[in-house]
Amino acid sequence: MTERSGFKKPVKVVIDGREIVAEAGEMLLQVALDNGVEIPHYCYHPKLSIDGSCRMCQVKIEKAPKLAISCNTPVADGMVVDTKAGEVVEARKAVMELLLLNHPLDCPICDQAGECYLQDYSFGHGRSEARTTSPRRKGVKRYPIGPRVVFDQERCILCRRCVRFTHEISKTDELRVFGAGDRSRIATSQDRPLDNPYSINVADVCPVGALLSADFHHKRRVWFLEETETVCPTCSNGCNVKIGAFRNRIERLVPRRNDEVNDTWMCDHGRLNYAFVQDDTRLREPAIAGREPREPVPVAGPIDYTRDSDGREVRAAGPSVDEAIAAAAASLRAAVATYGENSVAVVLTPTLTNEETLLLARLVREELKTPHFALAVPLGLSDDFLIKPEKVANARGARDLGVGPGDGGKDLAGILAACASGEIKVLWVVGSDGLVAAAGLDAVEPAVANLEALLLQDTNRSALTDRATVLVPGCTWAEKDGSMTNHAGRVQRIRPALRPPAGLVADGEVFARLASALRGEATAPFEPRTAFAEVAKAVPSYVGLEWARLGSRGLAAGQGA
Amino acid sequence: MPLSEELKARITAEFPKYPERRAVLLTALHFVQEECGGWVSPDVVPEIAELLGILPIDVEEVVSFYPMYHSDPVGRFHVQVCTNISCCIRGARGVVRRLEENLDVLSGEVTGDGLFSIGEVECLGSCGTAPVVMVNNERFVENVSADDVPALVERLRARAAAGGTNGSNGQAGGR
Ligand code: SF4
Ligand code: SF4
Ligand code: FES
Ligand code: FES
Repeated sequence: MTERSGFKKPVKVVIDGREIVAEAGEMLLQVALDNGVEIPHYCYHPKLSIDGSCRMCQVKIEKAPKLAISCNTPVADGMVVDTKAGEVVEARKAVMELLLLNHPLDCPICDQAGECYLQDYSFGHGRSEARTTSPRRKGVKRYPIGPRVVFDQERCILCRRCVRFTHEISKTDELRVFGAGDRSRIATSQDRPLDNPYSINVADVCPVGALLSADFHHKRRVWFLEETETVCPTCSNGCNVKIGAFRNRIERLVPRRNDEVNDTWMCDHGRLNYAFVQDDTRLREPAIAGREPREPVPVAGPIDYTRDSDGREVRAAGPSVDEAIAAAAASLRAAVATYGENSVAVVLTPTLTNEETLLLARLVREELKTPHFALAVPLGLSDDFLIKPEKVANARGARDLGVGPGDGGKDLAGILAACASGEIKVLWVVGSDGLVAAAGLDAVEPAVANLEALLLQDTNRSALTDRATVLVPGCTWAEKDGSMTNHAGRVQRIRPALRPPAGLVADGEVFARLASALRGEATAPFEPRTAFAEVAKAVPSYVGLEWARLGSRGLAAGQGA
Repeated sequence: MPLSEELKARITAEFPKYPERRAVLLTALHFVQEECGGWVSPDVVPEIAELLGILPIDVEEVVSFYPMYHSDPVGRFHVQVCTNISCCIRGARGVVRRLEENLDVLSGEVTGDGLFSIGEVECLGSCGTAPVVMVNNERFVENVSADDVPALVERLRARAAAGGTNGSNGQAGGR
């Protein structure tokens, strides 16, 4: 969409008999697309400069001497446009024929099949038969043009979107069109790899199957994927993404457009960071020290599952989540009773939703009443584009919700020192990766060595897993419903794409059950939607934000007012 | 081999003639080919780019676009046959084939003695006298037939034997 900054003169255009009001300077193609008129196009991309090379977007404009490319024609007052005229239809057919002249038509083995502009436009605008008999041009296939991108030269239609991406967006300039005429081809300088932190986006901008994500190469036909609109969990930018899942496994992440956050891009690291949801490091079984099974805590692989008559997984042995929660509650209660409230500390890696974080914060303040409550945020490299230094999704949300030391409370380093000195007896860790990354194993080791109990709520195996007195496995972001707040204060929905491992519940539900165990009375089960209403009341700048209005692109803090 | 100071000066002297530096690229590439053995070696690409304030990949893109620039070494006599439509209709393919036989290399290759290379180029603008052959940057050889090839090659060999720089690709001069 053209930036609507400042005042622009409105102009009236007629497209296919419909009067449309646009702003002077906007391009006809974008105006048409914004108003639901589909004009086929290849080289035009709303976030890249205009190329005008594919000629697919030609339309008829009244009083113009010949057809015009709508992607590069600014709207003018009184313009009358026909996108369906006979000569337009013929011109499109001619463009399609030219593009298909050398196309290998290997759709049956092409990853792009199902989301390919060439397929869609052949279907909608092409000829039904080929008129050529000459052999097709040969080119390299399945070429690793970079460590994360595969190139198929035969499929390339030379729209230059990828070239413009590396010039204008990643600013790395790896790709160019080499040669001329029918020898033109996309290549890198001296066959150097296409390798930059955003390289896989070229697979998204490529309208055909010429540039592909190596990670997704020949993995799954796209029409089998169940897509879920959510947010990337890997840093605090909160890029909007879609999870593509098949049979309860993530097969890929792709970016989703949100001009307020990530335009239509995402970094390679975030895109490829999903294996932890389903690999062998995933914790699937609760554990309580001294109870079987204990060593090692069962993870994926030969798991102690049997199946019930419906084929559902049923736990055969070992403690249940509720038993683990009860054990954790007992341990916390005993420490408070014996040594006082200050003998307990809580450390959170902020990967939880706002709603879950709110419940945890209340639990710490109202039930445990310990002031020792710290955030552990893993930090890493950032850039001036998308990648942010905080390597978790919801650090901002946790801060907004007041996670941090209470009156006289210790910070992270203080808590670890007090654990090591024996002042703190029970440490409750929600997410160990942030703790280990933020404090370093050297500081964490002596701290956990001297505890009476380490209560660990975690999704994946870590250096602390085997040290836990009580282990409550949690759900990953891909299995949760809720909201998170990105670094800039945008509150966005995440949505569940997968069913969690059998028997596991979201961390919010763990907190709800733990609260009722501590209080000795039933509390309402965790419900993200109702919890969000509480979140919106708890943070002044969130006041007025409504769950239903978060939509697929979220709202900025302060927009509720 | 780095660009000589003289060559750099020759390129820099062109700057005032153009609205922006990058526009000097085509001329600069001609100069480079004249003075550096008839081709643009990967070694000099970064230097050209720096001089013109563009990226090496921009230079490579342009070199790859025009058949008159070479990213690989060519022979002392680079024999270019126009294989565009008019020349093809009048037998250019046969000329190429006869050159390949006579010199025992394929189009695009250089003979072992470094004397000859064969290239195919787009329309040379002399369709009326097709097929057309151009050796280095010299005057066209017009109305060439396959049967003219042996004599043409002999003439070039004789020139090479006579020595002198005249006719060697690097010093051909003129455009
Ligand atoms: S590789 Fe894809 S994006 Fe790049 S020019 Fe070819 S078709 Fe366009
Ligand atoms: S920049 Fe951050 S939020 Fe965006 S895709 Fe990368 S890791 Fe995920
Ligand atoms: S989209 Fe307009 S020319 Fe390609
Ligand atoms: S086609 Fe050969 S000179 Fe024009």
